[in-house]
Amino acid sequence: MSEVTQNRTFFGRIAANPTPALIWLGGVLLLLSVEFSAFVDALILFGEQINPLVGGSKDIGGWYVDTMYDSLGFAGGTVMSALGALVVLAVFSVFVKAAFIPFSIVERLGLEDLPISADLLERSIVGAFLVVLWLVLLYEPLAFLPALPLIGEPTLAQMVHGFAQTMAGIADWVVANVPTLLSRDLIPNQGFNPPASAASEYPAGSEILGARIAIGPYHGTFLGLSPAVAWAIRVVAIYLYAFVWLVWVWQGYKTFRRHYRFADWTPRDDMIDRLSTHRWGQFGFVVVFLFLVLAMFAPAMGPTTTAQNIYNPYGHEFQYVEDGEVQTITHGTANLQSASQGTPDNNVGVMNYDDYGRFHPIGTLSERANGKDLFTFMADGARVSLFIGLLSIALSGFIATALAMVTAYYKGLADLIVVVTSDSIQALPGLLIYILLSVVFSSHPISNIYSGGFLLALIFAATGWPALWRAIRGPAFQVSEEEWIDAAKSYGQRPSATMRKHMLPYVAGYLLIYGSLTIGGIIISVAALSFLGLGVAPPTPEWGRAVNIGRPYVTTVSWHIATIPGLMVVFVVTGFNALGDGIRDAIDPQSEGSGAGESAAAGGGG
Amino acid sequence: MSRWGYFARRLLLAIPVVLFGVTITFAILRLGPLDPVAAILGPNTPPSQYARVEEQLGLNRPLWEQYIEFMVGLLTFDLGNSYVIQENTKAMTLIVQHAPRTLWLGFWSVLIPLFIGIPLGFYAGLNPNTMGDYFASFGGIIWRAMPNFWLGVIFYSVLSQSVTYSEMLTFGVVQFQWDAWIVTNNIGTPPPLNFYNSNGTELLTVGGTTISLFSFDWEVFVRAVKMVLPPAIVLGSASMGNEMRLGRTAVLETINSKYVETARAKGLSRRKIVWKHVFRNALIPLVPIILNEAFLLIGGSVIMEQIFAINGIGYLFFQAAIQGDMPLVGSLMYIFILIVVFMNIFQDFLYTIIDPRVGYE
Repeated sequence: MSEVTQNRTFFGRIAANPTPALIWLGGVLLLLSVEFSAFVDALILFGEQINPLVGGSKDIGGWYVDTMYDSLGFAGGTVMSALGALVVLAVFSVFVKAAFIPFSIVERLGLEDLPISADLLERSIVGAFLVVLWLVLLYEPLAFLPALPLIGEPTLAQMVHGFAQTMAGIADWVVANVPTLLSRDLIPNQGFNPPASAASEYPAGSEILGARIAIGPYHGTFLGLSPAVAWAIRVVAIYLYAFVWLVWVWQGYKTFRRHYRFADWTPRDDMIDRLSTHRWGQFGFVVVFLFLVLAMFAPAMGPTTTAQNIYNPYGHEFQYVEDGEVQTITHGTANLQSASQGTPDNNVGVMNYDDYGRFHPIGTLSERANGKDLFTFMADGARVSLFIGLLSIALSGFIATALAMVTAYYKGLADLIVVVTSDSIQALPGLLIYILLSVVFSSHPISNIYSGGFLLALIFAATGWPALWRAIRGPAFQVSEEEWIDAAKSYGQRPSATMRKHMLPYVAGYLLIYGSLTIGGIIISVAALSFLGLGVAPPTPEWGRAVNIGRPYVTTVSWHIATIPGLMVVFVVTGFNALGDGIRDAIDPQSEGSGAGESAAAGGGG
Repeated sequence: MSRWGYFARRLLLAIPVVLFGVTITFAILRLGPLDPVAAILGPNTPPSQYARVEEQLGLNRPLWEQYIEFMVGLLTFDLGNSYVIQENTKAMTLIVQHAPRTLWLGFWSVLIPLFIGIPLGFYAGLNPNTMGDYFASFGGIIWRAMPNFWLGVIFYSVLSQSVTYSEMLTFGVVQFQWDAWIVTNNIGTPPPLNFYNSNGTELLTVGGTTISLFSFDWEVFVRAVKMVLPPAIVLGSASMGNEMRLGRTAVLETINSKYVETARAKGLSRRKIVWKHVFRNALIPLVPIILNEAFLLIGGSVIMEQIFAINGIGYLFFQAAIQGDMPLVGSLMYIFILIVVFMNIFQDFLYTIIDPRVGYE
């Protein structure tokens, strides 16, 4: 690269040579457009979580304040409540500032001359903005306040809500009207083979973009194929689509490397080279990829929807053929009739149809779970596991990294305090403290968010950060001894800037290793808790509950209920462990299979 | 720093760890939304009775008083009475009643991995990149990733149908009935631990002199071992996989070291090299792992006791937790914390003895 291009920013380099970037971006847009309404649907799902979160935050905050006032008296309660609010606000402000605001507010507003730290001021502004937003969202009828008429109609709160509703309306319209490549509308697998007498009433095949195409005799399924084949086509199509995405992201990285990167070579290139010959790590990557796609595309994966199968089985009807006639029945009633009960007469096993012509790729659950379809249950359960695993890893990783930076930079007393704290938390036996916390908080408002999944994520984060901190403490200490840290100090760089710029990049890789290794353990623990009847509350599916439901039937023809979920846990956990091994060998080739990573790897602790 | 100075410091540091750990437990129990009075009385109780019980338990006093009482009680091992599980029974009595079965289970689940995992790991390390190595390594990885609760369910079910499965696997040649094998036993009941009677003695006359022996019932002993084996194997599964993998790495590292090369150069036989130079040194990194695993078992035993219906400490904890029996939960937590903390110190102590190269930091 010439001198001129080297001095440009990333966006500057793209502007100078836009063709490869535009080609890549075009591909992304194309990929997005075929699944557009599914992505909008996912956005709606996130949006719908905001209201329970805001409402829940009020409940939880109220509970905290009440507890503090009850136990510490008026003065103590006030102080503790204020302190709690401040801590929460501070954490959120730092997070929002770091994640969503890429520019300096202080500079934009021209407040550099004020005699307080720019960072603090910036975060205070963000914090104040958050408080206002939260209040507006929470106390919707702000119009009753006497001061508000001054703002005039419509009030700010109404505007915020109106905007949100308009967006939701647009999103709903998009979901309803824009066809999606991988939806069950385009590739339906629910249908029946109409008897000859009703063949004209129920034509074979399904409508694709207005035209009815039929290869097989089935009514309502994709091309009139049998439900099993239609379902298989959809699943294969989903994985193909995800695979194309993967290839395109890799392509994007290569484009960046070839055309837009400042340096010809970075250490990261070597890491990727090492990964590309690491078969075991690649195996892990493939497994993790399969799991991620299963979780992300769960609504389209199952042979039936979660609404029909789990949440509202009596609110949905379907048609089937009995005695040469087309009948209508609710999913709930049909589910009960097709439960797997361990006898050959009462069993819908792997790759089987039930009496109502519905296909069950890995059979059905027992009567205790109302004979639901196991695959739909597992696909949605994968979402729950993934959500808990990722959120808790992210939270505990955040805590662990922050503490590792601080302890490695300041050493001494700060280190000692964190050592004692983390030792104390680690001295509490794992599964027991999970059990205790999930029992204690089972009737608390926080356990309503995502059926207790959010609570579990918090529990795992609160008990999991010491292990992560221990793991990255060594590397953090090592880097804090380097000369460039001394140099930064002697320049008078602020400690937070030194930590972020000169220490964090070195440690971040280790976080990836241990994150991947511990996420398997979290999946096992979540499953173990729901096996014991704690944690994620029914009817929200969880893998461990399937094992518990299938417990009496392991040696019968209904062996699939407990065995397949268990095998899936083994598979996914092995995958995460293998991926962690691969990343470790790529980042830190000297460690070569020894070190603390071994014990951090998920054991079947649950 | 000398070894003793180091351990004095470790012990000193253990005090705040224990105190803080117990404080966390107290905070969870008393600040959390758990209502012990409702747990005792059940729903729909008149407020007067509610207030009376609250008064009786001292739950209406200021929190700091309760905290001090709780801490002092624990530190003097006055663990208080159970609220719900068995009212007005000392928590300590309950724990002592339930402990032996858990200890028996824990003992075997530490022992079995030791004698299976480490030899397998060493074998794999001594024959690296052979079929046997791949088989053992891959088996270890899978074995480690299996969730205990699932493996336990599978073991339980297969053993209770052992006749069918043995016939199926050997095409009807072998009929193996687990519950009638060697000694008869039930599956899904706690193992009998009365094989050793510390009070009763047996008198035995040998050549004119009478010696007294503790009575020891072999049949009951064998039954107890047999019954504890399946849950112990499952509980030890994770440790077995871990020990195997680490054993393999340790052997590989030792066998490639300079002194082994020297030993080979001076013409020592392979057997001597392996047993004298490799084996003992490769054991060193395994010591902390073994002890580490030991306290993982504390948590894991809850699930095994639940599946195999062994009423040990884990079962007691689970019942106490879901029924809101605060004193029992608190005491159990305290005891577990003590075990974990002292096991940690003991592990470091052992480590410095085995491997003097370890620094005291």
